[in-house]
Amino acid sequence: MASFPARPVTTGEHRARREEGETDISRREDPGGASEPADGTEPDARFTFANERTFLAWSRTALALVAAGLAIVQLLPPFPGIPWGRHIIGTPLILLGSVVAIVSYLDWTGNQRALRTGKPVIRSRLPLILAVTVAIIGLAAAALALLSAVTSR
Amino acid sequence: MTPADDIEDADPGLARGRTELAWNRTAISFAALGGVILKNRPYAGIPVLLFSVLIWRLGRLTSAPAAGRARARHLLLIAVAVTGVSIAALLITLLGPQSSGFRP
Repeated sequence: MASFPARPVTTGEHRARREEGETDISRREDPGGASEPADGTEPDARFTFANERTFLAWSRTALALVAAGLAIVQLLPPFPGIPWGRHIIGTPLILLGSVVAIVSYLDWTGNQRALRTGKPVIRSRLPLILAVTVAIIGLAAAALALLSAVTSR
Repeated sequence: MTPADDIEDADPGLARGRTELAWNRTAISFAALGGVILKNRPYAGIPVLLFSVLIWRLGRLTSAPAAGRARARHLLLIAVAVTGVSIAALLITLLGPQSSGFRP
C-alpha cells in the first residue's frame, strides 16, 4: 500500500532542485523509510493529493448511488401491477454503490503504487462499469414504466 | 517575493486545500445520506450521521503533516464505510416493511 509525503513539495523547493540540476522533480527518493512500499520513490505531493481527491469523488458517487437506490424503493410510489418494480430499479443501484466504493479504493492503491514506481497510471474501469450499469437500469426503468402502464389499463 | 509565491510555496497548486474541501464534501454527503435514512430508520441513520463527523475530522488530520500509513488507513475506512452503508441500505430495502411511497 502506498504512503504520502509529510507535506507538499513547495515551488521554492522545485526551483532549488532545478538549480541543482534535478530533471525529474515530480519524484525523488524517499529518505524516511517509514512509508510503504519500500521500493519506489516518493511522488510529488500534488499527484498524491490528486489521487486522493479522485478516490473521494468516487466515494461520493457511491454514496449518491446508494441514496438514489434507497429513495427509489422508499419514496417512489409502487408501479401498478408490478409490486417488485421499485426493487428491480433500486437494488442494483445500491449494489453498484458498494462496487464503486471497493473498486475506487483498489484504483487508488494501484495509482499510488504506479506513482511511486514511475509506471503508467492504471486506466480505471469505473467509468465503464458506471455507464453500462446506469444505462441498463435506465432501460429497465423505462420497460417497467411501459409494462406498468399497459397492465394497469 | 509576491504574495502569490507565498501561497504556492505553502501549498503548491493549492492541492492540500482542495483535498481538504473534498474531504468536507464527502463528510457532507455522509451527513445528507444519514439524514435521509434517519427519517425512516433512526437506528441506521444515527451511525451514518456520526460517521460524517469522523470523516470531517479525518479530513483535518490528513491535511496536517501526517504519516503515510495513517492516510492509507483513513481511505480504507471510507471505502469500508460506504460498503457498510450500502449493505445496510440493501437490508432496509429487502427486509424492511414495504413503503407506499411519497405522496405530496
